[in-house]
Amino acid sequence: MAGRKLALKAIDWVAFAEIIPENQKAIASSLKSWHETLTSRLAATPEKPPAIDWAYYKANVAKAGLVDDFEKKFNALKIPVPEDKYTALVDAEEEEDVKNCAEFLAASKTQIEEYEKELERLRNVIPFELMTVEDLNEAFPETKLDTTKYPYWPHQPIENI
Amino acid sequence: MLSRVVLSAAATAASSLKNAAFIGPGVIQATRIFHTGQPSLAPVPPLPEYGGKVRFGLIPEEFFQLLYPKTGVTGPYVLGTGLILYFLSKEIYVITSETVSGAALAVLVIYAVKKYGAVIGQFADKLSEEKIARLEEFKQSCIRYAEDGIDFEKEKQAVVQKRHYLFDVQRNNIAMAFEVAYRERLHTVYREVKNRLDYHISVQNMMRRKEQEHMINWLEKKVVQSISAQQEKETIAKCIEDLKLLAKKAQAQPVM
Repeated sequence: MAGRKLALKAIDWVAFAEIIPENQKAIASSLKSWHETLTSRLAATPEKPPAIDWAYYKANVAKAGLVDDFEKKFNALKIPVPEDKYTALVDAEEEEDVKNCAEFLAASKTQIEEYEKELERLRNVIPFELMTVEDLNEAFPETKLDTTKYPYWPHQPIENI
Repeated sequence: MLSRVVLSAAATAASSLKNAAFIGPGVIQATRIFHTGQPSLAPVPPLPEYGGKVRFGLIPEEFFQLLYPKTGVTGPYVLGTGLILYFLSKEIYVITSETVSGAALAVLVIYAVKKYGAVIGQFADKLSEEKIARLEEFKQSCIRYAEDGIDFEKEKQAVVQKRHYLFDVQRNNIAMAFEVAYRERLHTVYREVKNRLDYHISVQNMMRRKEQEHMINWLEKKVVQSISAQQEKETIAKCIEDLKLLAKKAQAQPVM
C-alpha cells in the first residue's frame, strides 16, 4: 500500500501566461485554477492512511479468526492505481505541437536570414554622394519612377513631390 | 574670318583628341582614355572638391607651368599682353558698342560672383545635403525595420521554447488527479476495514452490557422472589425494633 513517487514538473507561471494567445486566456486560467485545486487537495490528503492496530483488535474481538482473516485479506489487498489514459493524449498533442513548432521555427529562421541579407545589402550600399540616379534605383527600387504609368515629367503624382 | 579658321582648327583638334588611336606628333595627350572597351569604374569615382586652379578665372595654371621653363614667371603675361595689343592694333578684334556693353556686363558679373558666389554655393550645397539626409534617413529606417524584424523573430523563437509548459501543466494536473484518487481509495479501504472491526467490537460491547443488565435484573428478581412473605414480616419487625432502639438512643443523647 505504499504511495507512488509523484513526479511533478516545476511550472513557470509567468512563461505559461506568456505563451497563451488572447482568445484562449479563459481556458488557461481554468487550467491554472484546476492546478491549484488539485495541489490543495493533494496537500490535504496524507500519503498513507494510518496503520490499523491489529493487536488491539485481536485482543478484543471475541470471534476467533475474524481479525486474522481481516488482517490477511487487508494485507493481500492491492489497490489498483487509476489507469492513465490521458497522459497519452497530452503526449500526442505535444508531439503535434512540437512538429508545428519545428515548422514555425524553420520559417522563422528563413525570415531571419532574409532580414540579415537585406541588412547586409543596406549596410554595403555605396554612399549617396557617389550615387547616380540609376544606382539609387538599383539600391532602393521604390525610388524608380514609373515612366509607363506616368509618361510625362515628373513621372509621379503631383502630391508625391 | 581668321577667327573661323581658328575655330575650325580647334574643332579638328578636339575631334582628334576623341580618336586617340591617331596619336599625332606633338599633340598634348589628355589624361582620360576614351573607348578602350574596358568597363568604366563603378561606382563613378567622386568628383574632386575644387576645380583646377585658374588665373584670371580663365587660364589654367598648367599653361603658366608649361611656359615657366622657357620664359620664366612673366612669360605668359607678356604673351597675353602682346596678343591683346596685336588683336587691337590689327583690328582682328574690333571695338564696337558691344565692347562697351560687354565690359559693363563683365564688371557686373564679376562683382556679383565675387560678392555672392560663396553664399549661393552654400545654399546649393545645403539643398543637396538635405536631399542626401532624407535618403540617408530612409536607408536608416530600412535598416531599423530589418533589425526590428530580426529581434521580433528571435523573441518569437524564445517564446516557442516555452511552449512545453502548457503540456507540463496538463500532465501535472492529470498526475495529481490520479494521485488524489489513489489516496482517496487507500483511505476509503482503511476506513471501511476499521469500521467493520469497530462494529464487531461495539456489537460485542453492547452484547456484554445487555447480558450484564439482564443478569442483574434476573438476579434481583430472583432475590426479591426468594424473600418469602414470612421473612418479609420478620425483617420489617426487626427493622422497627432497631429503629425504636435508635430513637431511644437518639433521644437519650441530647438530654445528656
